[in-house]
Amino acid sequence: MFDFSPFFDNFDEIMQGFWATLRLAAAAAVLSLIIGTALASFRVAPVPVLRAFGTGYVNIVRNTPLTLVLLMCSLGLNDILALKFSDTSSTTYYWWAVLGLSAYTGAFVCETLRSGINTVPLGQAEAARSIGLTFTQSLRVIILPQAFRAIIAPLGSVFIAMIKNTTVAAAASYAEVALVTKTIVDKPTFANGVIPLFLGVAIGFLILTLPTGYFFGWLAKRMAVAR
Amino acid sequence: MSKEATVLFDVPGPRARARNMLLTAVVTVVLAVVFAALIWRLYDKGQFEEKLWSPFTEWTVWRHLLLPGLLNTLKAAAVATVLALLFGIVFGLARLSEHWWVRVPAGVVVEFFRGIPLLILIFLAFFVPNKISPAIAESSFGQLQRLSVDYFFSIFGVESNAGTVTVPAFAAVVFGLTMYNGSVLAEVVRAGVLSIPKGQSEAAYSIGLRKNGVMRLVLLPQAITVMMPAIVSQIVVLLKDTALGFIIAYGEFLQAGFKQVPANYENNVLQAGIVVAIIYIAINMSLSRVATWLEARSRRSRKTEAKTMGTAGPPPAAGVGVGEQTVPTI
Amino acid sequence: MTDSESGPDLTKNGPEDSAPEPATAGDRPLVVVEHVNKHFGELHVLKDINLTVDSGEVVVVIGPSGGGKSTLCRSINRLEPIDDGTILVDGKELPKEGKDLAKLRADVGMVFQSFNLFAHKTILDNITLGPVKVRKAGRQDSQKHAMELLDRVGIANQANKYPAQLSGGQQQRAAIARSLAMKPKVMLFDEPTSALDPEMVNEVLDVMTGLAREGMTMIVVTHEMGFARRAAQKVVFMADGQIVEENTPDEFFTNARTERAKDFLSKILTH
Repeated sequence: MFDFSPFFDNFDEIMQGFWATLRLAAAAAVLSLIIGTALASFRVAPVPVLRAFGTGYVNIVRNTPLTLVLLMCSLGLNDILALKFSDTSSTTYYWWAVLGLSAYTGAFVCETLRSGINTVPLGQAEAARSIGLTFTQSLRVIILPQAFRAIIAPLGSVFIAMIKNTTVAAAASYAEVALVTKTIVDKPTFANGVIPLFLGVAIGFLILTLPTGYFFGWLAKRMAVAR
Repeated sequence: MSKEATVLFDVPGPRARARNMLLTAVVTVVLAVVFAALIWRLYDKGQFEEKLWSPFTEWTVWRHLLLPGLLNTLKAAAVATVLALLFGIVFGLARLSEHWWVRVPAGVVVEFFRGIPLLILIFLAFFVPNKISPAIAESSFGQLQRLSVDYFFSIFGVESNAGTVTVPAFAAVVFGLTMYNGSVLAEVVRAGVLSIPKGQSEAAYSIGLRKNGVMRLVLLPQAITVMMPAIVSQIVVLLKDTALGFIIAYGEFLQAGFKQVPANYENNVLQAGIVVAIIYIAINMSLSRVATWLEARSRRSRKTEAKTMGTAGPPPAAGVGVGEQTVPTI
Repeated sequence: MTDSESGPDLTKNGPEDSAPEPATAGDRPLVVVEHVNKHFGELHVLKDINLTVDSGEVVVVIGPSGGGKSTLCRSINRLEPIDDGTILVDGKELPKEGKDLAKLRADVGMVFQSFNLFAHKTILDNITLGPVKVRKAGRQDSQKHAMELLDRVGIANQANKYPAQLSGGQQQRAAIARSLAMKPKVMLFDEPTSALDPEMVNEVLDVMTGLAREGMTMIVVTHEMGFARRAAQKVVFMADGQIVEENTPDEFFTNARTERAKDFLSKILTH
């Protein structure tokens, strides 16, 4: 029951699964930051239509299961609407997974950024304006640096959640580690090594999430603005 | 158009107002164009055909496919919520214990279940018992396994068949949801109790109450008021996560709407997705509305001096630590 | 009213930089407020306000809470927009937005009740930020000038600390130094000592009195009657959004003309 040899026999497959997870997480991290920043700027813009669009997007995404979003991407947009990224199915599945996960995580990044802006007291903006800083200068020198420092911790939480959410891409046929696990377990030749397998996968995820968490926590403390 | 100065923008003057109106017009046009392109593409692929949308207007579809699916979702969510709350209270209080031999293991368990993806937990419950139960049945724990399945786990539909235990998808989903959300709730409970001003516990100790009484009579009641919005938010997360059952073919709502209906009705995946999404959004927004209402009500009722934990989300993930405004994790 | 015996002149031009235009002294008033009205929704918070402040004059605005004093002060650098009327600063009408407004704000210093020092920057950076970013002065020169200002307000040894590490009185003095670094034509004080612990009020008032003696044009909203008697040339009493009485400090405190002012003064015990 605690036989570790099946685990090591399939080690290559498992490692490939983790590699796929990492690729997905890295791309989604970058894209979700971009999407989240854009959405946040929409939500705080002085243009009502942009605000409505941003709010609508966030409310829809926050209340929809990620599984549904990814399935819509792979089955709906990919198969039905035939919006493909490339001819190889694995590449297409990868990019749809990236897009779906980023579109989803981006909403949470947006909310984090907005809450960061809200932590900056109005007095800071008033003081900045009263010494003659222009709009761009106020934002660049006073407001945004403080907002950015406030969101490091919550952003860390969002990214850790996203790393764990990469497993949902299994629903979209992307061969990350959860799907690989399922495939291995379903093999008829695979008998006894379930516990080591899951233990290994669990440890693998802890290796990804715990250091990330501690890093963001440390960074947040270092950069915290004392008030 | 607000005339108040905000952190980002100064009070708009006439030029700024004109510029905003121009931007509004431009953005509206751009959005309209994008929307039109999307509609055209859908039309081009024949997605507006009657037969793709009509299944959702037929009562039989609802009665036999969609509503049972919705019921299964709500069933799993309800059971998991109750169990997760129990788990959360037990482990949350355990993490607040003065005895390190209670606190540390509880902490390890909570951080473990929070650090692993929910889907892996579901897989764990779904696949592992099936594979290892034959081996256990033959070992000295065989009797224990049989009894626990027959008398306890059978409530969740777990079956034992000549030593091989089968865990149904429902039980696996409930297990995963309970463990994960229970761990998050444990953190919510811990943060909630810790957020009660120290003066409350100091006063309680000073009138002679001991740890048990302080917790039971003074801290927990106030903590519940504080935690309610965060707990309801977590229930919303839990409800969304029932959709993961799709991956192990649990007959929940997403499965019913997204797999079964299209299978029977000309593969209307897109339409099904939209309908299912609308229903999920409706349910979750109502729940979130309840959470916000609770937060506003408790701010007015002033049953406790402590500030309510916002509906913004659970405490930060493992290691991140710093108690800031956070965002839901799934 | 310049008194030549006080310390180094803070308003003298410092190092070479794109110096602000000097205020045209004497021949016309520095700040003119004419028929100004403002509403907050239904509430009419400024009713037909008329006020003139000459160069070098120190005007103290007092009155009961909610009387519109802060709103009037903040409308002079357009932190609060007005509904109608005109406000002229050094002969030019108050711009409504954009770069012109920023330029005017650079010439009008403001000291806030809650200090509003930039929390993520050191005290020294707080003071050099304006000159460097707005006046485009050199960093070295700005730092030298900043240290002189910090020395004058008495907190030179706090230059490299962050605002949160300073006491309230020190923070407010740093805020005053920050405004002075821009070499403003007029300085607005919005209840500068109201948020301070009693023992720190005097250190800030001393700095303000020093500024007054050196000829800075100041508009001060405050409850500190002692400061008004010591340093002001004009006392303006505001209540319910209107200027009820305008007088010299001596006349006002001993011989107020209107009933409203007399009523207010009788409620202030020993000042």
